Amino acid sequence: MSHLLAILGRHGYSLTFAVLLAETVGLPFPASIALVAAGAAIASHTLSATGVVLAALAGLILGDIWQFWLGRYTGWALLGFLCRLSMNPETCILRSAESFYKRGKETLLVAKFVPGVNTMAAPLAGSMKMPFGQFLRLDLAGCVLYVATYLLLGYVSRDFLAAVLNSIYTASRVMEGIIIAALIAYVVYRIVQYQKYREYYFVPRVQAEDLAARLEAGEADRLQIVDVRSHGYYDIGAERIFGSIRIEPNNLEEEIKNLPKDKDIYLYCT
Amino acid sequence: MAHILRDKGFNTFVIIGGIAAWRKAGGHLESVPKNDLVKLPTFS
Repeated sequence: MSHLLAILGRHGYSLTFAVLLAETVGLPFPASIALVAAGAAIASHTLSATGVVLAALAGLILGDIWQFWLGRYTGWALLGFLCRLSMNPETCILRSAESFYKRGKETLLVAKFVPGVNTMAAPLAGSMKMPFGQFLRLDLAGCVLYVATYLLLGYVSRDFLAAVLNSIYTASRVMEGIIIAALIAYVVYRIVQYQKYREYYFVPRVQAEDLAARLEAGEADRLQIVDVRSHGYYDIGAERIFGSIRIEPNNLEEEIKNLPKDKDIYLYCT
Repeated sequence: MAHILRDKGFNTFVIIGGIAAWRKAGGHLESVPKNDLVKLPTFS
């Protein structure tokens, strides 16, 4: 604990700012843990409460403003990109948009507490054209609530945190073993999965130029180009390959019935 | 999706790089028809 507080004493404000900014823009940094540690540092008079609060709020709000305008200028593309990580990207986009439209204002107040939502709330507000002034007010309130909660938690639980950290130092070797074992298990799992589904990896891939050459050679009636993007149909002015048709990923079984079996099918996404 | 289509008997290929590669190669593009656009809610 004393080691951690020494680091915080030297770089506490910049560290708090950097970690919170990074977490806000979607990088995997533990913002809440940083705030709890900063709260403990305030309790031990290593850092000043005013400095930490200002650094934390600056990091959060700057990150959120960046995300908001990124969402505003990229339209639904940013949400589509973030939704790629979900099990069903198409549903993710639709449900996120509808849910945020219904409960967007309340969501901004508590978004910071919910992993995943904290990264998506600001770009969603931008994509959905929430007025910037309204966004800023709600976001500021949410950030203050978030910062105050975790700083207070660190402040009141400083002794408990010291005990926990001491236990962690003692058990660090055991933790290292567990992490190495987990990594080995993950690598073995990936190898087994690869072996199991290896045959599916052999889907022929073609260069765009080769397909264009087929079209120029007058083979358009022997092939069908299919757009399988999970997003890209939400912004006015969206484009697709000339002559292509859309397959709705959520309705694949029905859509397949309309595909010609006597033609080569060329799939594309973003 | 390509795997599913191949399983169903379609002679399926995947365009490397998607629409970005097509655009870069100078291929023809068209606007998505208005009826195909999915309308998502906005605050404005």
